[in-house]
Amino acid sequence: MSPDILDEAIEIWFGPQHVSAHGWAAKLTLIGDYIVECDPHAGYFHRSAEKVLEFRNFRQGPLVMERLCMLESFLMEYPYVSAVEQIAGLEVPERARIMRTILMEASRIHSLQFWWGQFAAELGLFTMLLWPWVDREYFLDAFEELTGSRHAVSFNTPGGVKYDFTDKFLKKLDRALLRIEERLPKFKDMLLHGPTFRLRTKNVGLFSAEQGLRWGLSGPNIKACGVPMDLRKDKPDSNLAYDLADWEVPTVHNEEHPGQSDAYDRMVQRFLEVETSINIIRQLLPQIPEGPIIDPKARAKANRLPEGEAYGRVEGTRGITSLWLKTTEKAQTAYRAKIRGPCFASYYALKHLVPGSRFADFIVIFGSLDPYPGLWDR
Amino acid sequence: MSDGEAMTLARELVNKMPDIEVVPSIDRLDIKAAPEKIRDVIRFLDEYINDLFPESCFGVDLRNNQYEMIYIFWSRNKRLLVQVRVLLEGEPPEIDTVSDIIAGLEWHERETHEMFGIKFKGHPDLRPLLLPDELVGRYPMRKSFMTDRSRLAESGLPQPKPRPPKEANE
Repeated sequence: MSPDILDEAIEIWFGPQHVSAHGWAAKLTLIGDYIVECDPHAGYFHRSAEKVLEFRNFRQGPLVMERLCMLESFLMEYPYVSAVEQIAGLEVPERARIMRTILMEASRIHSLQFWWGQFAAELGLFTMLLWPWVDREYFLDAFEELTGSRHAVSFNTPGGVKYDFTDKFLKKLDRALLRIEERLPKFKDMLLHGPTFRLRTKNVGLFSAEQGLRWGLSGPNIKACGVPMDLRKDKPDSNLAYDLADWEVPTVHNEEHPGQSDAYDRMVQRFLEVETSINIIRQLLPQIPEGPIIDPKARAKANRLPEGEAYGRVEGTRGITSLWLKTTEKAQTAYRAKIRGPCFASYYALKHLVPGSRFADFIVIFGSLDPYPGLWDR
Repeated sequence: MSDGEAMTLARELVNKMPDIEVVPSIDRLDIKAAPEKIRDVIRFLDEYINDLFPESCFGVDLRNNQYEMIYIFWSRNKRLLVQVRVLLEGEPPEIDTVSDIIAGLEWHERETHEMFGIKFKGHPDLRPLLLPDELVGRYPMRKSFMTDRSRLAESGLPQPKPRPPKEANE
């Protein structure tokens, strides 16, 4: 690069006021239409959740966790709950185990529905913004029926779950599933087979599985490269019921660039994720046994924990979400809680992924990684 | 499952670096290393495990100027969780960066630096990541950081009276 070219470089801020930049900003250096440097800035959404957790007791903790990412609240609560259960040695009743899994998958579907709408809108397809969001309402209705709240559900608790399924809830959940099953082919048609969408996303934001692993990408982003890395299968959790359903980890194979994925592949991957989730829920629903939903001694046991360390993990919508918990003797609060949000890595990856692409593709690359500011700022 | 994997890896590591404490179990490997050995350990893991996934890296304040750095890795092929812990002493605590070996840890180290004041020698970019300007250098995740009164001084409100010592209450 000759120095004259660098003289023409301009720096622009993408965000934080940009409509697509909700809670983040990246400083881009451009030469002409091409991005040569990308410096993502975090911190606009920082709520110091890790410090807050040091002042909340073990039954309040999940409430802090679910507020980090409202779109997958059932999934976000789980790493904390799991870590507390490991330290306290709590057993989860079979009924609660299956109920948890069903709701976590339902949460995954509605989070992905939100993402389709948002991603399509970022690409300029505004019709697609509201279609999945209407369907998402069906899931939110069901959650409201069960917990009284659409987003801040506070459902998982150490030792089990807080609310029991009712007939009305099951009916609403079934309605939501029927709706998405009916509309999924339509969405696929609109997005995957639509020429505009193909043009904007094919061969944009290509990276290989090795690169992705280096940067710490997980979940659909790495599965789209053909690596079936999924904690639900790789490390079955005894307090979740993924082993009761018959399913396979979906992956995508890019024929032009084997072992790599572009924005289009990641879109396809997320459609497959939804199909898998529907499949798991459909298989688990008839298997719910009668019985208690919480260990009756759980409340007392979670009041004070012995000294210990635990690492709770779950395969979230966006990748591996985890919480490392350290407690001291007779602890009422965490001594240290470290949250791993999967988007911390995907936001960081922009730094390596974006340079060399065109400015118009920046938002496509960003959107295709499904980042959520609450998960990297915490 | 991976019972053998953890054992083999532990044996190889101890052969190479005898002064390192390694505890293998069925699906995880706990490593305790000295601060100056951290780069060797991470490089060894990187060579031995071909799909080393940097899951997390963070600090813990153990009080009395003692800190712990914890690195967590996951390998899908070996179904193995590796946790490396390093005890740091002194003020400011210092450790070598590993972000040039595994790029994904760059921001984790950057965050630990601003939250705990742990210095990463050789890190390319230690600008603050999450904190607002007025908290830079205050290290809010340290136990000595007073959460409730930390911003009283700038607000101009009168300082609260110090609490009476504990004996007086009882």
